[in-house]
Amino acid sequence: MATNRRDFLRSIGTVSMGAAASVASAPATALAAGENASPSPHYGMVIDLRKCIGCQACTVSCIMENDVPEGAFRTHVSVYEIVREGKDPAVAMLPRLCNHCDDPACVPVCPVGATFKQEGTGEVLVDASRCVGCGYCVQACPYDARFINEETQVADKCTFCVHRTSAGLLPACVETCVGGARNFGDLNDPESTVSRLLANNEVAVLRPEMQTHPNVFYIGMDQALAGRVAGEAAYRPPFTQLEEEHA
Amino acid sequence: MELQIHELVGANHSAVWQPWAVQYFFLIAASATALFLTLPAFVLRRERALPLGRLAMLSAVTTGLAAPIALLADLHEPNRFWHFYAYFQTSSWMAWGAWIVPSYVIALIAYAWAAYRPELAELGEDDWRFAWLFRLLSLKGSRNAFTPAIGAVAALLGVAVLTYTGAEIFIIRARPLWNTPLLPLQLFTTGFVASIGVMLVLNALMLRDKALEISLNRYLLVALACVGLLGAVWFFLALTGLDPVNAEALQSVAGFPVWHSVATWAVLAIAIPFAIALVKPGGTGLVTGLIAIHAAWMFRWTVFMGGQSVPKVGSGLYDALLPQGLHSLMGVIGTFGLWIFLIIAFTTFIPWTRAGIPGTTAGVPERTATFRKASQS
Repeated sequence: MATNRRDFLRSIGTVSMGAAASVASAPATALAAGENASPSPHYGMVIDLRKCIGCQACTVSCIMENDVPEGAFRTHVSVYEIVREGKDPAVAMLPRLCNHCDDPACVPVCPVGATFKQEGTGEVLVDASRCVGCGYCVQACPYDARFINEETQVADKCTFCVHRTSAGLLPACVETCVGGARNFGDLNDPESTVSRLLANNEVAVLRPEMQTHPNVFYIGMDQALAGRVAGEAAYRPPFTQLEEEHA
Repeated sequence: MELQIHELVGANHSAVWQPWAVQYFFLIAASATALFLTLPAFVLRRERALPLGRLAMLSAVTTGLAAPIALLADLHEPNRFWHFYAYFQTSSWMAWGAWIVPSYVIALIAYAWAAYRPELAELGEDDWRFAWLFRLLSLKGSRNAFTPAIGAVAALLGVAVLTYTGAEIFIIRARPLWNTPLLPLQLFTTGFVASIGVMLVLNALMLRDKALEISLNRYLLVALACVGLLGAVWFFLALTGLDPVNAEALQSVAGFPVWHSVATWAVLAIAIPFAIALVKPGGTGLVTGLIAIHAAWMFRWTVFMGGQSVPKVGSGLYDALLPQGLHSLMGVIGTFGLWIFLIIAFTTFIPWTRAGIPGTTAGVPERTATFRKASQS
């Protein structure tokens, strides 16, 4: 499977040059190669923060692809200004989404088994027809990656665009990533781009102390952003704003 | 290293557990702890404890019936409540709660029915308009020697309710304010503050029994002392860093002036009724009761709504501590309204002031069933 937008465009180029494989068959070929390396693919994402420009194309494409209601996000890019020892400020981007953890905190708390980890590929998904909308999974997720969809009234979250990946396509956010920062693929395949990125770069995950073993990895992440960010917020509820002004 | 971070773009997360959840945790804790206060009279058969037992039974039943309604209202898909039973998950405390709560409510109703059965049967004996109804309610009998056994089962289920509600919150590692080991004990002790507060108010409004008021104020002193002690231990563990989770919980809110106000408010809500109950336990029941109810309710609001206002990965605070709009307010008003209706219905239709020691005829002789008098006149 093409693992980011550039690979995807490259695969289109292959087709235009008259290669035997079509775009649709390219992922199938890659998946077949993955199957040789491992019995089943295990999907993950590697986000190269050095390439993220904070354009929010991923945010918008996710909303369009998944019909995310207003005011909620399956993914978005947090943007921070970091000032160290009074020096010039640096701007840091941090795309956020469900980490599709290997030991997800949201799964065991679900009282009806609506949240589950997909066997084999490993996406953490929600069975909307079973979910009762109790919100327990939203509380348990250490990444604020879940919400109750106001239109469906059930738990909602990033699915790694499972409806696209199962058809051999990339997740919408990966396909639209302008800088090629988002990479998606099979972590079990040592030849995949995500595996190579993990092998050749120093990577970090969000909130490792939670021991959820996330499958979203970051290259070039400032450790000050790895957990709850101790800083001034972009959004301040009215009552806290007043208090802070008086303080 | 000096570090300043400003979040330029972030997302706000609204509270998923709405004020109905606060109402549920308040009412169910008040019910279970009130039930414990019925035990001396109706399980241990101590006649001196009857006035307390009757008032506690009224409190336990009315709050116990209103609580599950509030819980159901907090589900975003309430018509799917049957999924809890069709798809039971042993790993989820909430799933266990789905079995524990109805079991508790059924046992509570059975316990109250057993305690009042002789009085219900008595009302069914006379020739009056609704005698048939009371004959039906008493199942055409007046024996209730089995009340202590049902009461013991209900009490065990009350313990299960308090255990599951505490554990359900405590296991959420993602929220440090909820993950502190003392939280289940704090919910337990503030539950007693809630039920005693309810009984003080009901006594002041309906019975005006001064001896009972003094007795309840003394119980309130003990409960508030336990709450204060646990609060002090919580702060000690947080400030010294002896418990990293407590320290993280304090750190997550310490920088916000609004939380300083909340802490001051909480201390006053404990200290003021404590001082009043200590200095003047007689004649102050309405005041101490109302403040006690407020303290227990506010503790839950702070834990549940305040806890949801703390971002897990972002900066600042979300809107949850004081959510805007009529929708949230209606959850609080509606649930309290239901509870008040249940109190009115219970005190009107059930001869609650006449319940005696189970298996004896040691009830109070006066006949105060207002419903019957009104029907006869």
